[in-house]
Amino acid sequence: MVDRLTLLRGAVQQALETNELDGVLALRADHNGTVPHLFRTGDDLSGLALWPKYPLTRTLDLLLSAQPGARLGIVARGCDERSLIEMAKRNQVDLERVTLIGLACTAEEAAACRCARPYPTKIAVGERVEGVEDTITSEHARLSLAERAGFWQRQFAKCFKCYGCRNVCPQCFCEECALEEDLWVERGVLAPPFPMFHLIRAMHTVGKCVGCRECELACPADIPLTILYSLLRRDVEEMFGYVPGASLEDRPPLVVSGVPEGWA
Amino acid sequence: MREDFEPRIIGFLCNWCSYAGADAAGTSRLSYPSNIRVVRVMCSGRVSPELVLRAFREGADGVLVLGCHIGDCHYTDGNHRTAKRIPILRKLLSYVGIEPERLRLEWVSSSEAQRFAQVVSEFTETVRQLGPLEKGGEV
Repeated sequence: MVDRLTLLRGAVQQALETNELDGVLALRADHNGTVPHLFRTGDDLSGLALWPKYPLTRTLDLLLSAQPGARLGIVARGCDERSLIEMAKRNQVDLERVTLIGLACTAEEAAACRCARPYPTKIAVGERVEGVEDTITSEHARLSLAERAGFWQRQFAKCFKCYGCRNVCPQCFCEECALEEDLWVERGVLAPPFPMFHLIRAMHTVGKCVGCRECELACPADIPLTILYSLLRRDVEEMFGYVPGASLEDRPPLVVSGVPEGWA
Repeated sequence: MREDFEPRIIGFLCNWCSYAGADAAGTSRLSYPSNIRVVRVMCSGRVSPELVLRAFREGADGVLVLGCHIGDCHYTDGNHRTAKRIPILRKLLSYVGIEPERLRLEWVSSSEAQRFAQVVSEFTETVRQLGPLEKGGEV
C-alpha cells in the first residue's frame, strides 16, 4: 500500500500540472515540525509533510490578498474545508480561485482532535475513517454547576493572554477585535476573576467555529477551549439547525434576520 | 440565602418599547423593586455579549434584557438577533458555572406597564434566591 505522503505528492503534482495553479499551499517538514509552504511547478515535493497539522487557511487568505490574480491549491483536511466555507460566507476568501486537495485524516489523527468528521467532502488522499465521539465534552456537560465553575476557574487562571487562540483561529479575522478593547478586556491584568476574554471569544465564534482545535493546540497553557466551543456548537445545531462549515448556502443564525418558528 | 441580600440588577431596555413600558409603569404609579438599574439602549439588538458580561464583571447579580415583541421592532429585525443571542449566552454562562437564570430576556411593549413591573419583580426574586454572583477569585 502506498503511504499517504507519496499519494499527496502525486496529488499536488497533478494539481499543479492540470489545474494551471500558481502554487499549492501545503505543509513542509521543518525542524521536527511543519510550516506552511507554497509549492510551485517544478519544485521538489520531497519536503511535503502531513503532521502536526497547521491552519493553512490563514496563510491562503494572506497569499490571495497579496496576489489578487493568483489561483492557488490548498491541501485541505475536513476542518480546513469547513473553515474555508465559513470564511467564504463572510467574504474572507474567494473559493473561485481555490482548488481543494482533500486529505482524509487517519484514525489516530481523528482521535487526537476528538474530531466528529475527520474528512473533507471530496477526498483526494487518504481513506475516510469514522468520526470520534468527543467524550471530554460530553463528560463536562454532566458536571454540576459548581464543578464547572471550579474547573474553568482553574483553567482560566492559567491564561496569560498571549492571544494565541485568537491569532491562530481561521475564523478570527475582524480588523478591530473586542479582545483588544480596554472596555471589555482589561489590559495588563492577568486571569481576572471574571473571564471576559474567554467568554467574549466563545460568543464571537458561535456559528463560525468548525472545531478545528487549532486554538487548543496553540495554547501554551493547555486550556481545553474547545470544550466550550463544542458545547455551543451543539446548542446552535439544536436551536437553529445550523452546522458551521456544512454548506455554503446555510446562513449563520446569529447574524441574520428571522427567528425559529414558535419563538415569536 | 441571606435575608439581607439585595441583588444588584442591570436592566438593558430598548428605547422604543420597553423603556416606554417602564415609563408607563412609573406614571401609572405601579410599584416594582428598586434593585433594577436601567440602561436605555436604542435596540435590544445593541445588547452585545460584552455588555452583559461586563455588567456581571462589575458586580451585577442579574442582567435583564427587555425589548420589543418579535414583529414590533423599531428596526424591523434588531430583536431577532437578541432573541437568538441571549439563549446562547445563557448556555455559555451555564457551561462556566454561572446560573443561566441570572440572565433573562423578555419582550415588553410600551403599553405593558403592568408586565414590566411583574417581570422586574419576578426576576428580582429569582436573583435574590440565587444569592450573590460568585466570581471566584482564589483558585
